[in-house]
Amino acid sequence: MAVEKDLTQPLPNGEDGKRPDEARRNFLKQSSILTAFALTPGVAVKAADLKFEEKVAAAFEKVNVTLEINGKKRKLSVEPRTTLLDLLREQMHLTGTKKGCDYGQCGACTVHVDGQRVLSCLTLAPMVDGKEVTTIEGLADGDKLHPMQEAFIKHDGFQCGYCTPGQIMSAVACIREGHADSDDEIREYMSGNICRCGAYPNIVNAIKEVKNGGQRV
Amino acid sequence: MDRVDGRLKVTGAAKYSAEYELPNMAHAVLVGSTIAKGSIKSIDTKRAENAPGVLAVLHYQNSPKVPGYAQEAHPTEPKPAGKPLQVFIDNQIHFNDQPIAVVVADTLERAMYAAKLVKAQYNVDKHATDFNQNVPKAVLPTAAKRNPKHGLADYVRGKEDAYKNEPLKIESEYVIPTEFHNPMELQSIIAHWEADNRLTVYDKTQAVIGTQNAFAKDWGIPVENVKVIATFVGGAFGNGLHTWPHETAAIIAAKKVNRPVKLMLTREQMFTMVGYRPHAWQKVGMSATKDGKITAITHEAIGQTSSYEEFTESTLQQTRMMYTSPNVTTRYRILPLDVSTPIWMRGPGEATGAFALESALDEMAYVLGIDPLEFRLINHTDKDPEKNLPWSTKYLKEAMQMGAERIGWSKRQLKPGQVKNGEWLVGYGMGVGTFGANRGRAKVKGTLHKDGTLVMQSATTDIGPGTGTAMVQIAAQNLGLPPEKIVFELGSSLYPPSPSQGGSATVATVGSAVHAVCQALKQRLTSMVAGNADTSFKGATVENLTFKDGYVSLTASPSARLSFTDILKQQNLPELEVSEESSPDNSLRQKYSMYSYSVHFAEVQVHPLTGQARVTNMVSCADAGTIINAKTAGNQMIGGAVGGIGMALTEGGVIDHRFGRYVTKDFAEYHVPVHADAPNISSLFVNKPDLINNPNGTKGIGEIAIIGVAPAIANAIFNATGKRIRELPITPDKLI
Amino acid sequence: MIQFQYVKPSKQKAAIDTVAKDETAMFIAGGTNLVDLMKRGIVNPEKLVDINKLPLRKIEKEDGHVRIGALALNGAVAEDKLILEKHPLLSQALNAGASAQLRNMATVGGNIMQRTRCNYFYDTAMPCNKREPGSGCGALEGYNRMHAIFGHSDKCIAVNPSDMNVALIALDAVVLVSGPKGDRKIPFAEFHRLPGDTPQIHTNLQKGELITSVDVPEHPYTKHVNYLKVRDRTSYAFALVSVAAALDMDGSNIKSARLAMGGVAHKPWRLNEAEQFLAGKPANEATFRQAAEIAMRGAKAFEHNKFKLKLGPNTIVQALKNAAGAV
Repeated sequence: MAVEKDLTQPLPNGEDGKRPDEARRNFLKQSSILTAFALTPGVAVKAADLKFEEKVAAAFEKVNVTLEINGKKRKLSVEPRTTLLDLLREQMHLTGTKKGCDYGQCGACTVHVDGQRVLSCLTLAPMVDGKEVTTIEGLADGDKLHPMQEAFIKHDGFQCGYCTPGQIMSAVACIREGHADSDDEIREYMSGNICRCGAYPNIVNAIKEVKNGGQRV
Repeated sequence: MDRVDGRLKVTGAAKYSAEYELPNMAHAVLVGSTIAKGSIKSIDTKRAENAPGVLAVLHYQNSPKVPGYAQEAHPTEPKPAGKPLQVFIDNQIHFNDQPIAVVVADTLERAMYAAKLVKAQYNVDKHATDFNQNVPKAVLPTAAKRNPKHGLADYVRGKEDAYKNEPLKIESEYVIPTEFHNPMELQSIIAHWEADNRLTVYDKTQAVIGTQNAFAKDWGIPVENVKVIATFVGGAFGNGLHTWPHETAAIIAAKKVNRPVKLMLTREQMFTMVGYRPHAWQKVGMSATKDGKITAITHEAIGQTSSYEEFTESTLQQTRMMYTSPNVTTRYRILPLDVSTPIWMRGPGEATGAFALESALDEMAYVLGIDPLEFRLINHTDKDPEKNLPWSTKYLKEAMQMGAERIGWSKRQLKPGQVKNGEWLVGYGMGVGTFGANRGRAKVKGTLHKDGTLVMQSATTDIGPGTGTAMVQIAAQNLGLPPEKIVFELGSSLYPPSPSQGGSATVATVGSAVHAVCQALKQRLTSMVAGNADTSFKGATVENLTFKDGYVSLTASPSARLSFTDILKQQNLPELEVSEESSPDNSLRQKYSMYSYSVHFAEVQVHPLTGQARVTNMVSCADAGTIINAKTAGNQMIGGAVGGIGMALTEGGVIDHRFGRYVTKDFAEYHVPVHADAPNISSLFVNKPDLINNPNGTKGIGEIAIIGVAPAIANAIFNATGKRIRELPITPDKLI
Repeated sequence: MIQFQYVKPSKQKAAIDTVAKDETAMFIAGGTNLVDLMKRGIVNPEKLVDINKLPLRKIEKEDGHVRIGALALNGAVAEDKLILEKHPLLSQALNAGASAQLRNMATVGGNIMQRTRCNYFYDTAMPCNKREPGSGCGALEGYNRMHAIFGHSDKCIAVNPSDMNVALIALDAVVLVSGPKGDRKIPFAEFHRLPGDTPQIHTNLQKGELITSVDVPEHPYTKHVNYLKVRDRTSYAFALVSVAAALDMDGSNIKSARLAMGGVAHKPWRLNEAEQFLAGKPANEATFRQAAEIAMRGAKAFEHNKFKLKLGPNTIVQALKNAAGAV
């Protein structure tokens, strides 16, 4: 589309029916049903006509994922495009892990996978198959809060609370990784967690307290 | 005291609006326009409709009608001329990324995918999004046109533009770009039609009752049939003070598919669909005598608004009342563009205005060769020069002194570029902020249970300041109950009405009603004990009783005491319930001028080669009346300072005017401050009550926490480098 | 995001064959860039081949170089003892990128393949020749503050956003790839491309070719190194300009130097002539300034990125100062 020449024209929205990748993107082709069951296209099209398409395809487009979430083993069937974040929030109802940007730019969705802090919004669910996931819901020991949770309360390391689970998961990892030796080091290694309320100095104080307290994190 | 909801927040148990589990919930995703102005020629929804799991694709041609759309604006409006965008009502496009369709599917993944399949063709009109090119189209706000005495109207004290004829003067222009609230929680709503005429929404809003009224009106159903839940709000900073198109889109979708519908905006949509701090141009002219007396100030401002709705804010208020100047002129205009409507963003217009005013003050002080702190003290005023009234309270001088000591103001040199730390240039700057010490009307219900616990309820919200915590503390102090026995419930339209959480008014407003509830409970308890002829309490009055730790005792002989629990038991009452409404005393508001004040001190370091600027220390001080909770209040001040760091150094929205479309619309392009941008920040309070304002003596904090921060940093950068940057944000390219 | 098929082969050959055969298949490793692009509909693979089962995670000293497996995580490489000892410049560059969480996910191979952050590439409603060949370059006459000053064409002025790549090009790294036609080694400087008339072609990797490792040869730059990144906030932001500087010093004289820039071109930008100039010169600001001027020859800026013509050389000078002063 030669839109760049005539700026009064609408933005190219990619839909004129001509884009090859768009045209390819019809449902049956992209579904794994064909490869999975070696169905001939004819059969599949017939299934579509009979409205079987959706249910049949939906079942076969999913992959099995086995993972341990907060110490509990779970067997799940998910679409490969499901992110760990949406899996946690929408399917497991573990809403402590937050969606703040969905693009890996804010840290609100930070969880631990096999003990490492990662962003669940950029993690496809099938990629954590066989791994251990810890979310904020799994950090405390029953009713006994994790020292970092205690420290966040004591130092008021939050306001609205939305970035807090991500901050805490990140803060625990920050100490475990050995990146909490000075204020500046904490600030740098916590910079992947945005707090729009601006409670940063209190968060740094909370992390310092836990670090200096020498508790096991 | 720690926050009452701290445990819920640190364990992930606090539920925000998108986090409620409802049976059979569907997911909705909005599709935005790709042009800034024109109309939809055709909309192709076939592929989306055929995509797996899609339940509905709604747009102007097939959307269920919203009955109230024919009527006027929502009550949560700032009462502008024009009206809020009515979603899917016609094919007209007013701004780029305007919602043109909503896709509803059984899973989030499917809704997101299908939304990408909806394509529209447009009839394109020429759009106007470029502020600079359209400045001549700026107009007086409608309210000021109608009423020349209106706060937004032109203002002249003494002689108009008197600075122009003075020998010692400065004249400068200042620009702030569009800034976005960007709370961490994406704007979300779950809409659930429990019956044809009964709607429940779990909504991210700062105004529970306002939202309830708006939706009741939209849908032509009784107010009591609309339930609004906003127990936890993941930040808002003002963008929850309006009802937005996505909310109605979700309600429409829920109506159509007859299932609860969840809609969460994307981060990009947070830049186009839920307001922002408008781009503003300002000009300040100022003159002074050689010994530092300001003789005249003229302050002009133009703020951006949308083509369909007038948005205004009090950009010039601080200029009218902060300094003694005998001559003050202010002129405020708005510039309608083909963009979405702004909404108040923390410290709204005042933060914009203070950037210009407090920068200009620094420029004037520099011309005079006077220390900027000294310059402000010289021009301090002990009465409101605008209204010609005494202040209810004003302890700004005390705040200045505290802050200057803490930051080490004495290290500052008058001449820029004199202080160094290695290669880095060190500078100090200050800025003052003020905001009306607002108070509204609120109602609180308090129920004292026979187990000795007090449960209070009010339909206010907590977007982060710690509303519940402050209310519990106010009740604890006033009723004499330990805080752990008190619960304050908020964020539901089922509770007695409270105004929106905005304008730094919540503690003054709702706290006064809590105070009233406690007084009423004490009165009732007193009547009960006084009516008991058998005891030494006979004939007691509230004045000669002491309420402490859940006990009533005779002040004169404290050994005679009864627990609240026992009093209720004696009366055979399971509970004692009172509801109290509290309103400001308008006669006092005519006798006194009421403001909160802040003063911010910044120490910055600037690298002369790379232009990197870092705030290395900040001290923010406030005269905000009584401080109910030092921890949460201090946190608010810190948060405002961090917001101000963003305003000064990192934040700015950019539109590609060829397309009228934002090019900075996520956290990689629009830089909010991160941990590494925030130094140690001290917050200090004068902590003296303003009992003229309200019985708890409080004044607001939320706004003054950011008002004056950006100029403090810009002034510090000047002091470090000699470079006066009048257009925010001050990124490295501006300092090399 | 479109529906796609997901496979996770345990054999390298199977992975390569799958991607080589299927036009719409792509490898996925950390996913930090690809998942983002897929969410926004910028890249729409119909099959993802997850390579995380492949044994490509090791960091090992071999004869004449350190071999870093393509699946080694950015964070792990940055803190690896061998890397800190032999290639501290690489460690610094890695730590300047993204956030701790992203560095725990992103792999070395994926980082090499990272796509541009150009605003127009990222918005499917805007023109971009890289995303949609022939649609035009939105940045050329648009908002081009973050864009290239070297090596751009009238079809594309985007920059490579990786910090790691800047260090790797300065260190003469070699990329090892394996493909349907066998294995080959690509010198880092030849891996990425300039946009020319085909900005949609991001690298010189052929369809089905998989990065298996990166060799960083031995060099004397273990002490006087600095990766300096200037950005719009203190951390967690892409570079306006970044400089990788490495000096081999003999007292106060420079024996040899390595110098490269980020945020200025479609590929990591090696400054060979400036390096040659620095060799044998005294390490002082005047020398650095002259080297910076040489480095900037041929730079051409656009409406919003003119500042890079000044910030670029300033950052070079400062990085060299830091490197010279580093102990």
